[in-house]
Amino acid sequence: MYALALIRIFQAGLKSLRLHKLRSALTMLGMIIGVGAVIALVAIGEGASHDAQEEIRALGAKNVIIRSIKPPSMREQMHGDWESFFRRWMAFYGLKRTDATRIKDTVPGVSRVLPMLTKRMSAVHERREVGCQLIGTFPYYPEFTQAELVAGEFLNAAEENTKASACVISLSLAERLFAGHNPLAEEIVVRGYESEQVFQVKGILRERADTEKLPQLPDSMGQTIAANVYIPLSTFKSLYGERNVDRSVGNLVLEAVELSEIRVEFDTVEDVLPALPLIDEALKAGRDERDFEIVVPIQEMVALRNQKARDTRMLLYIACISLLVGGIGIMNIMLATVTERTQEIGVRRALGATRSNITIQFLVETLLLCLVGGAIGVSGGWAFSEFREFLTGDSTIVKAWSVIMAFGLSVVIGLVFGLYPARRAAHLDPIEALRHT
Amino acid sequence: MADRNIIEIRNLTKIYDLGAIQVPALNGLNFEIEEGSYTAIMGPSGSGKSTLLNILGCLDRPTAGAYILGNDDVAHMSDKELSGVRGARIGFIFQSYNLIQQLNVIENIHVPLFYQGKDISDYYDHCEKLAQKVGLGDRLDHRPMELSGGQQQRVAVARSLVNEPLMLLADEPTGNLDSTTEQEILDILDELHAEGRTLVVVTHDDAVAERASRVIHLKDGQVDKDIRKQDSDRKSENQFQEA
Repeated sequence: MYALALIRIFQAGLKSLRLHKLRSALTMLGMIIGVGAVIALVAIGEGASHDAQEEIRALGAKNVIIRSIKPPSMREQMHGDWESFFRRWMAFYGLKRTDATRIKDTVPGVSRVLPMLTKRMSAVHERREVGCQLIGTFPYYPEFTQAELVAGEFLNAAEENTKASACVISLSLAERLFAGHNPLAEEIVVRGYESEQVFQVKGILRERADTEKLPQLPDSMGQTIAANVYIPLSTFKSLYGERNVDRSVGNLVLEAVELSEIRVEFDTVEDVLPALPLIDEALKAGRDERDFEIVVPIQEMVALRNQKARDTRMLLYIACISLLVGGIGIMNIMLATVTERTQEIGVRRALGATRSNITIQFLVETLLLCLVGGAIGVSGGWAFSEFREFLTGDSTIVKAWSVIMAFGLSVVIGLVFGLYPARRAAHLDPIEALRHT
Repeated sequence: MADRNIIEIRNLTKIYDLGAIQVPALNGLNFEIEEGSYTAIMGPSGSGKSTLLNILGCLDRPTAGAYILGNDDVAHMSDKELSGVRGARIGFIFQSYNLIQQLNVIENIHVPLFYQGKDISDYYDHCEKLAQKVGLGDRLDHRPMELSGGQQQRVAVARSLVNEPLMLLADEPTGNLDSTTEQEILDILDELHAEGRTLVVVTHDDAVAERASRVIHLKDGQVDKDIRKQDSDRKSENQFQEA
């Protein structure tokens, strides 16, 4: 009985709102935009952080990546004196093999250390030539980077010991260089500035980390998506020397780097953060300049999570403000409606409506505006999110809590901002109201 | 004619408090209205006619005195109680029809039922019969905008009957109508009177008062003349000077 009466009140409310379609639609607009924005923004934020967290997880939460970078003194302009000229022309810097062993020996919790040497080369097969990154590394590289072996096998210890001319290529290089046919057991030529070496392909590796979507991580991380050729570290050293000398003819620069990168794996994730100062300490020994950088995926993850929490809070503030503005708009219109319908209110009072009947009637109308606006906003925001994911391919995740919160807030706003106009309507003097034209 | 009184007004007083001055609108009014009677209340402006109408309609409360409607003194009821009394015991007919614009004919007739907490679906036939009674059985789904003034007033009459009130209270029911339509509405009121319903019409129009079996003239907030006719054609001059 009571529920039925409520249904009647809602029906009557809908009827009143339909009487002024344009006005109702415009009134709802604030709600629609507010709610839709909450849903869409939360979905975009969630999606972006989800993607980023996936990338970082792919880099390995138990890992720390140490990379050689050119120290500041070698990056400055030449001053004309011989020393600065020489430092730029013949740049010796970066990580050494002793660094890798020192970290392994002195830092607790380290399970393995993976040294890597890289060099920009180009890979040639028949008539195709593709720019690539030549990577000298150890057989356990795939486990470290969580890369997935698509075909064949990865380099093994025997090849490392014998300095074999075997290689594994990344999937994207395989696609570009072999265009459909099977690269396994084929030979590729790796061509550099003054060298040409032949390697036999024995496996294809798919890198997990799609680092293109990680703009906050520095550039050399991008090597993983690029065309990679992996060879044994020992082979790399014997073919290209103990030191990695890059010669660019145009500006006459020689660079010498012993190791491009050291990846450190810890036993557990918990070991990573406490060990960071010790790694720093181990590397500082014997250096007068900082020619390395440390990337800690777990730290990035924590930072990302914190940033996400901040962003979400910010979004909530913005959402609350826009919903508040929408609510004020609705209250404004409802006050005008009450004035406009003063006579109707008088008539209803004369026909037996109590003050609470009138209050409920106008409250329900406001609530309906908010509910309908909220529903349109939710579906609009949702549709936008799906559309964006479809269009850009970035994950866009509509969170249940954002839908519930946005919808709940619109209801609360309906009740809060509807109450004043409704009570004002209810407290009109019926005699005055009847006389009103 | 039954001799039971539907309304008893005892020493009814209404004083408007305007702060600096107090304006008396009704000065100790006394009269009864019997069940099934047709009473017109007349008087010049300022006579307290509107004030009396508002009090009779339970829209306003007197400053002092008693107003017994049915068996209860409604003079000092709360706003909520008065709302219930208005809905259940009084059928209003207004000068400007006062239909609710967004509702159609049948829905307008429903309105007083709703506020009595009755389930409309149980009363659909009842409402349709009332619409037929006032000659609008074929316009149930029309909006007030689509009806003439006379038709709107018929809807209002049907609406006033829906809760089977003790009394129909009409305020200048033909004030907005042309003379032909006026006759139609007055005929309907006559019909209702013939059915034994109690009618109170507040008017300044002699043509309306003509139809009533009793005319109460107000002047300065008091009963000036109270004229009862034994039937509509034979006028017996029962004049009561103020008590």
